Amino acid sequence: MSAAVPEVGSRRFRMPAATLGAHAGTRLSVVILVALGILTLVALFARVLTPYDPVQPIGALNLAPGSDGHPLGTDSIGRDILSRTLIGVQVSWFSSLVIVASGLVIGGIVGIAAGVFGGWLDALLMRFTDLFLALPGTLVAIAIVAALGYNLQNTLIGIAVVWWPYYARIIRGEVKSFAARPHVEAARVAGASRTRVVFRHIVPGVVPTAIVTASLDIGNVVLLLAGLSFLGLGQPAPAPELGADTARNLSQLLSEWWVPVIPGLAVLVLSLLSNLGGDAVRTLLARRR
Amino acid sequence: MSDSAARVEGLRVSLVRDGVRSDVLRGIDLTVGRGEILGMVGESGSGKSVLALAMMGLLPVAADPQVDGTIRVGDVDMVHGSPEQLRAVRRNELGVIFQDPMTSLNPTMRVGAQITEATHDSAESIRLMSAVGIADAPLRFTVYPHELSGGLRQRIMAAIAVAGRPSLIIADEPTTALDVTVQAQVLDLLRELRDEFGCSVMLITHDLAVAAQIADRVAVMYAGRIAEIGATEEIIHRPTHPYTVGLLRSRLSLDTPRDRRLLTLRPETASAAERMKGCAYHSRCPLAVERCATEQPPLAPASQGDTAGTADTATEHLRACWRTVADVQGYTHETSDATPIASLARPGASADTTATPAAPAVRITDLTTVFALKGGGRRKRQVHALRGVDLTVAAGEAVSIVGESGSGKSTLLRVIAGLAPATTGRVELAGRGAQMVFQDAGSSLTPWLTVGDILRERLRPAKLDRAAASRRIGDALEAIGLPETVAALRPAQLSGGQRQRVALARATIIPPSVLLCDEPTSALDASLAASVLNLIRELRRSLDMTVLFVTHDLAVARLMGDRVVVMTEGTIVESGDADDVIHHPEHPYTRSLLASVPDIGVLS
Repeated sequence: MSAAVPEVGSRRFRMPAATLGAHAGTRLSVVILVALGILTLVALFARVLTPYDPVQPIGALNLAPGSDGHPLGTDSIGRDILSRTLIGVQVSWFSSLVIVASGLVIGGIVGIAAGVFGGWLDALLMRFTDLFLALPGTLVAIAIVAALGYNLQNTLIGIAVVWWPYYARIIRGEVKSFAARPHVEAARVAGASRTRVVFRHIVPGVVPTAIVTASLDIGNVVLLLAGLSFLGLGQPAPAPELGADTARNLSQLLSEWWVPVIPGLAVLVLSLLSNLGGDAVRTLLARRR
Repeated sequence: MSDSAARVEGLRVSLVRDGVRSDVLRGIDLTVGRGEILGMVGESGSGKSVLALAMMGLLPVAADPQVDGTIRVGDVDMVHGSPEQLRAVRRNELGVIFQDPMTSLNPTMRVGAQITEATHDSAESIRLMSAVGIADAPLRFTVYPHELSGGLRQRIMAAIAVAGRPSLIIADEPTTALDVTVQAQVLDLLRELRDEFGCSVMLITHDLAVAAQIADRVAVMYAGRIAEIGATEEIIHRPTHPYTVGLLRSRLSLDTPRDRRLLTLRPETASAAERMKGCAYHSRCPLAVERCATEQPPLAPASQGDTAGTADTATEHLRACWRTVADVQGYTHETSDATPIASLARPGASADTTATPAAPAVRITDLTTVFALKGGGRRKRQVHALRGVDLTVAAGEAVSIVGESGSGKSTLLRVIAGLAPATTGRVELAGRGAQMVFQDAGSSLTPWLTVGDILRERLRPAKLDRAAASRRIGDALEAIGLPETVAALRPAQLSGGQRQRVALARATIIPPSVLLCDEPTSALDASLAASVLNLIRELRRSLDMTVLFVTHDLAVARLMGDRVVVMTEGTIVESGDADDVIHHPEHPYTRSLLASVPDIGVLS
């Protein structure tokens, strides 16, 4: 019989890739989140890091990247592209965070209220949410910006107005599912007040889902903001904005490509990093549970 | 072809759980003879389900299994066979019945179609459905799983299991999720399948009595090894391993003395590493000697000398223990009576409580609860969960409510706790109100709060300062037999028995007038269940509580209640002194319940 005894861990029963993959996933997630942290720091100190004034022409026109004190070159009126891009990233990044935060707050309040009280309030809030979900979000945002005037604040208001229903839906669903769990009944029998049941025994369970949803959503907002700005619905010129800088210099794409492409690349990096960051948050939270 | 349906030799399996690799099976030798029913008995964590998965070649890849040893089913090696070979074995040689037929049947397919996947012939499927005892098989052929009762679903699983004319059916806890009356039917069915189709059955269960009912041989597993294996008669009536003895003695029967503490196994004290060194049971074993902690006992014949060499290895009685058979069986006799606990004596027996009729703790008058079911169709369906229940429970009395699922027993408890509405009728509670202990302690504790947070919540009305509250929490934990340090842990860090103790601490940290228990031990292993039942009985006396105890287990009902109330279809059909109801049942329903209880008689 001894010949038939296999060596422990024969190939068929070994799946090192799976376990290694799990560790690698954790490590990669941490790396991505560190990168996002650095990005946030750069955005925070963008004013200090910019070598030149982003709005004033300071050099020769259409300098190529790498030339003479302008690592990313200059645009058609001689403004430093690095400086404009850094400020553009700052605006884009913090605006996206503000929009997602507003979605979490408004959607969270609506979702928790609907999920906890149920009945007619739930029906009312959810039909209201459905109404917003049925509107073409981007168009409504454009309409609001057009009506209120072109500036950053109005753009943010426009997007925030259409951004929360998604969160309301998800958070209501989670609240409902947690409210039906036995530990909530147990807390009620134990005499916990309604407020306490909601904020100690239901809401903490909803938080991880809400965080993951929000972090996966930041990339969408980055793209939407860049898109609106590209269409001319951002800040008025000469403010540095990634979408607008790409749009305004599009005619140079075949002659001085870097002038429109570099701000576009910045949008790509931002949205890619935030999508990876969303996945990273999900991986790490799943591991913790 | 060999003379066995399956043969396992030197099987070792290690799996990764939560990032930690542990040895789940540590050297299993086992033969399932042709046409034999083998009962595999063990507590949760003994490795019995992993053994079943290994035999099917279905160890979870995510757990990165490392397998050593051989498993032969028919002529195929289930450890080294190619995926095609393993599939062929599963298709042609093996049939499987899982614990929960609802999750193992496809909810989107008609049951007939699911059987036909295995038979490839609908006429044959209908014949099989009749063969497994499904009445009106042609009609039932076209229904979906959710339209069938639990027992019928399990029969559908059985029909699928025998469809390929398997040589071996592996049944993993097939009766655990079922009511006693249905449980008996499913066990009968397994025996009939063996008789009719000539297949072997490996019946995996945590309940020795279930195995004893139909098994030819029983193997008792402990911590990934076989502790004892032999003919069912031998194992039940002449156990030779201290663990088997302990299991048999902590089992509750309808004759367990009611005024004594229930016998329990000692709690585990050794670390995992210590357990792996010697006999895994040594730290719980009352008979352990030094050698037990250092050297692993081999599985050897129980009757040494006289039958060695001549005995048939397939039916031989084997045991893995350093102590002699005489030592183990001698010890059994020495301690065959548990010490009676004075405080557990019935309060109703003393004269003064009957002389002063205090206000009842619970008075329920003509209680009706109707649930409206939402669903397809225009007419709203209504379910009458309770139909005019009257029940009065005296202060300090313990009443057990028994019934099968759907009898309304849990709804009654939930109405008393204020978790379900009363459609008509009244519920009056005395004094300090009611607290409840739930069936699944794990999910009744908020996962992200610590034990201390959970207990502190009940102290809020008392408005204690931090130090006083912490002291109360420490006292409450001590009263239920857990160290104070548990307060800092979250429910996921506790074992099943500890969670149920914490749930009890929450219910009793401020003693309620009435303690409502909804099957608090049905998810626990026998010995743990017994210790929790002991605890509830002690708390009842020390805190002077009235207890309403809902259970489907008649033996538990008799032990926990001064009075037993039998419910079916939302009404009370019988009520009376616990021993009277169990030993002299009057209602036909009570009699049918009692007839279905698997019992193995008193240990001699």
